Amino acid sequence: VDCSLYSPGQLNTFFSKKTFVRCVMVSTYTSLVLFFIPWAAMQDSVRGDGKDVADYQSFALSTQTSLMIVVSAQMFLDTFYWTAINQFFLWGSIAAYLAITFTFFSNGLFFVFTSSFPFIGTARNSLKQPNVWLTMFLTCLLCVLPTVAFRFLHINFLEKIRKFTRFQKYKAREEGQPAPAPYRPPPRRVSTRRSSYAFSHSQGYGDLVTSRKFLRLKRRPSLFGRNQSPLVENQPQHYRTITEEAEESQT
Amino acid sequence: MVKEEQEESSNRPDNTAFTQQRLPAWQPILSASIVIPMFLLIGAAFIGVGVALFITSRDIQLQELDYTGDDSEHPCFKCRTNTEKCTCSMTFSIPTLFKGPVFFYYGLTNYFQNQRKYGASKDDNQLYGDLDYFTNPSTDCDPYTRDSKNMPIVPCGALANSMFNDSFSLSHTVNGVQKIVPLDGKGIAWWTDYNIKYRNPTLNSVFFSGTKKPTNWPKPIYELDTTDVYNNGFINQDFLVWMRRAALPDFRKLYRRITHDDYADGLPAGNYTLTIAYNYPVHSFNGKKKVVLSNVSWMGGKNDFLGIAYIVVGSMCVVMSVVMLIVYARFKFAEDV
Repeated sequence: VDCSLYSPGQLNTFFSKKTFVRCVMVSTYTSLVLFFIPWAAMQDSVRGDGKDVADYQSFALSTQTSLMIVVSAQMFLDTFYWTAINQFFLWGSIAAYLAITFTFFSNGLFFVFTSSFPFIGTARNSLKQPNVWLTMFLTCLLCVLPTVAFRFLHINFLEKIRKFTRFQKYKAREEGQPAPAPYRPPPRRVSTRRSSYAFSHSQGYGDLVTSRKFLRLKRRPSLFGRNQSPLVENQPQHYRTITEEAEESQT
Repeated sequence: MVKEEQEESSNRPDNTAFTQQRLPAWQPILSASIVIPMFLLIGAAFIGVGVALFITSRDIQLQELDYTGDDSEHPCFKCRTNTEKCTCSMTFSIPTLFKGPVFFYYGLTNYFQNQRKYGASKDDNQLYGDLDYFTNPSTDCDPYTRDSKNMPIVPCGALANSMFNDSFSLSHTVNGVQKIVPLDGKGIAWWTDYNIKYRNPTLNSVFFSGTKKPTNWPKPIYELDTTDVYNNGFINQDFLVWMRRAALPDFRKLYRRITHDDYADGLPAGNYTLTIAYNYPVHSFNGKKKVVLSNVSWMGGKNDFLGIAYIVVGSMCVVMSVVMLIVYARFKFAEDV
């Protein structure tokens, strides 16, 4: 049975604070790179024939294309199995972006819907310039390479580094003291077999439900007197407690 | 029993590679033998490209002349407060041969052509020559759509209204004689702007009869260049260059090229005089005006940033690959212990 679908929940990899902070840091870094590299490269730049390339529409196009490529590269890194379907959709999304961009910037759409497509000619004029391509290339690689490096180190070496440091500690202690007792997790009252229900990543509310807190009647001043409340007419409810023994006998 | 099996098999998915998720797949793995050489290769390539870019940028010559006239000693200081036509001259010298073709730009600072409401204030239909929009301009142009007498403005909008209207002439001092340097204004805007995006209506001034010029313009659009019918109206090159909104607040726009006759190889070393018809007011927003003379290369104008950025990123990649190699060697051998 392939249990890899349960591992993100068990290991709490997606909804933890650590993951969120890491995501925010990566996003901030990527956003800053995506804007400021084209901004700095575009200062006072012109085309190879002296004409304008530092205009608003070319800047938008180069930033937008860099963003598309960075997002696609991130998807490439996250795809573990490259089947024919994956290839089609991943390369297809880049091709679709290019097709749509060139369509929006084409003469035909401009003639039909003049005021809606003012970007006409931008792709033709700016994407022929080597400095625009070099800027986009630099931006994309600067966004993607840190992720690649981090992932490489993490996947290949995290376990080894941990084992190595633990081995070093063990060796250091070996001279003076006897070997430490093997690590045993503290005995817990909750069953270790977690359900695959919504709260697989945390303990859930089993403790709360079984703690019998619901049965304790609190002395609160009531709105109606005891003889006036409509609930007085009802029979008191009987609660069925769910004990530890009953749960373990089911599993 | 047989019936149950048949019912089951009608719901069972087909036993194909696609439905049973058995498609052949390629699985890329980030292994050391791929990642470390890749980083090294990228680093080396980036350093190479960076050096080439940096050297190319270094070889580009640039001369900037600020003519705002903020300083009281500046020849153009008198034009600051003068509301009528004012002309001023500046002298400058070029130390070595300024290799051609030389490009003549005007530059503005602290001028936000990229502000949304300002930049969207134009009517593309009008600029394409659609006569329906001459009598009824789009409301994007507000408040520059109609003038005080409710006549439609052509071309409407803030972007067109604020068109740059200083003009320049350059002369070279040769043996005490001022020799005019010819400036070429053809083909300074994008081909697509000139041929496709902007069009004049078929006959020029007839169709402009019910319309007015923009408030801040001295002449109407059909008198921008009366000498050349292919440079008049909406397809005037200076107008097109202005309408191409700049992305950044400090920008420069192409004004003319110096490619004719004696100056085809460039501007020889010597003294030059720049004469300016100072019309454009920039003091209200602390802007500055300048003239920029520059030559270009395959990578465009002078910009050291790209070369330096490539060198820095390339070195970081090389350092990173060395670090990864050390980590790999250390823990690969450590594992065998």
